[in-house]
Amino acid sequence: MVTRIACQVLQRRFASVAAALRASPAEVRSQRNAVFSREQARQRALYPRIQKIEVSMQGPGMEGTLLVMNRGMSTPLSCARHLTEHHETNSALALVDGEPWSLHQPLTDSCSLTLLTFKDNDPTVVNQAYWRSCSALLGQVLETAFKEDFAVELLSTVDVAVTAGAFCYDVVLDPKLDSWTPSEESLRSLTRGAQQLIHQDLAWEPLEVVPSVALEVFSHSRCKQEEVEQKASQSPTGTVMLHRCGDHVLLSAGPLVGRTGLCSQYDVTALHSLGEGPWGLHRRAQGISLPLQMEAHHTVWGKLRQRAERRVEVPKPEEVTPPASDQPTTTSA
Amino acid sequence: MRLTLQLLISHGRVARKMGLGSESRINMLRNLLTGLVRHERIETTAARADEVRFYAEKLVDYAKKGDTDEKAMKMASFWMTEKDLVPKLFKVLAPRFEPHSSGYTRMARIPNKANLDKAKMAVLEYKGNPFPPLYPVKKKNELALVNQLLKGYREERAQYLASKA
Repeated sequence: MVTRIACQVLQRRFASVAAALRASPAEVRSQRNAVFSREQARQRALYPRIQKIEVSMQGPGMEGTLLVMNRGMSTPLSCARHLTEHHETNSALALVDGEPWSLHQPLTDSCSLTLLTFKDNDPTVVNQAYWRSCSALLGQVLETAFKEDFAVELLSTVDVAVTAGAFCYDVVLDPKLDSWTPSEESLRSLTRGAQQLIHQDLAWEPLEVVPSVALEVFSHSRCKQEEVEQKASQSPTGTVMLHRCGDHVLLSAGPLVGRTGLCSQYDVTALHSLGEGPWGLHRRAQGISLPLQMEAHHTVWGKLRQRAERRVEVPKPEEVTPPASDQPTTTSA
Repeated sequence: MRLTLQLLISHGRVARKMGLGSESRINMLRNLLTGLVRHERIETTAARADEVRFYAEKLVDYAKKGDTDEKAMKMASFWMTEKDLVPKLFKVLAPRFEPHSSGYTRMARIPNKANLDKAKMAVLEYKGNPFPPLYPVKKKNELALVNQLLKGYREERAQYLASKA
């Protein structure tokens, strides 16, 4: 009895100390959301008058199709809505003048537009975007899966090739969870979290922002701020890409697919421990997913899933440009 | 429907009774076969198509013997009611099916006739004809997401097996 009370008191004390040190996840989320919405509203207000642009569609059966759209307001998705429902539901990404472009990103100039699907002749760009999106979804699930009093720090996103067999997200969990090894059941509950997000069919809203705004968004996460600075220095325009899915704001290396509903089979397969890193015990969550139009038979899926449980090795981009020279780079165990 | 044992066992009855007699049946099949060789794809009732299919395959077998063969030439001139098709048989169809030993034709059911008799209809064609395919062709794409994943899986599996051996 005494020990129980002591435990409760201690827990409460620790919780209050922790709360004093860092904002609660809900607060962080609402703050990020608020900054994102503010910046989005500001960017939309840049085009107060409706101006027309001409979008020429490329693709089989669409030669010579010319759509007259609104500058800074129309997205590739609204162009797809002018065509057929098939284009609206099946396209995952767009090519604007040959550049990959998110479906929800407003068009700013007259351009040629190609809608990409998973069943194109060369779906390499879409596959990579899909893999990136699944990894973003995994990060979102990991951030919301734990109780309020366990801090979850998402590390920098890594782009994995599709042939590696799994997408991954590096994460640092609360120090209280260092001895925790995830069971089959806990992975399944993560999968269920992802399936719920997929069922909600949320859109990934893109927003291109200058680094100062991105730094404000991620003001609670030192790791993300470093990533923002690194990405901003690498990109030619000096801006970074933010995406919002539901109430989760994330930083991504490139365009993501249109919406979460494009995923159909989705499994979180493993949560590996990478050993002690600069931020704590690094863990790597892995998963595998297939889009709606190409579901695999369960025997094939079982084999792919089994393969996705093995840890994927990421070619380290840090070796090219060391972002933090003061921190010792620890190799994964 | 089996009424008697007599009806169940074929007792050498291998062909359908068609037309007004055996000669009329052969003439009908000759006309059909001539049309098939000329157009390479014909549409007729399912029973007739099934019946003429045997002769169509057999004729290609004869044509493969070459136009110097006496029996082959006799067969060709008998079955082709229009004689300008005889060279086509030896010069086009025989070389086309040179690598194959059988199965030169393809038959597909199509909707029944719309008129009163509602006859079962079918399409019969020689393979390798220039028309659009009867069945939709399956697209194979090595770069699709599943295939990329499976490619990775196969490579890893081959490596594993090689290291084990």
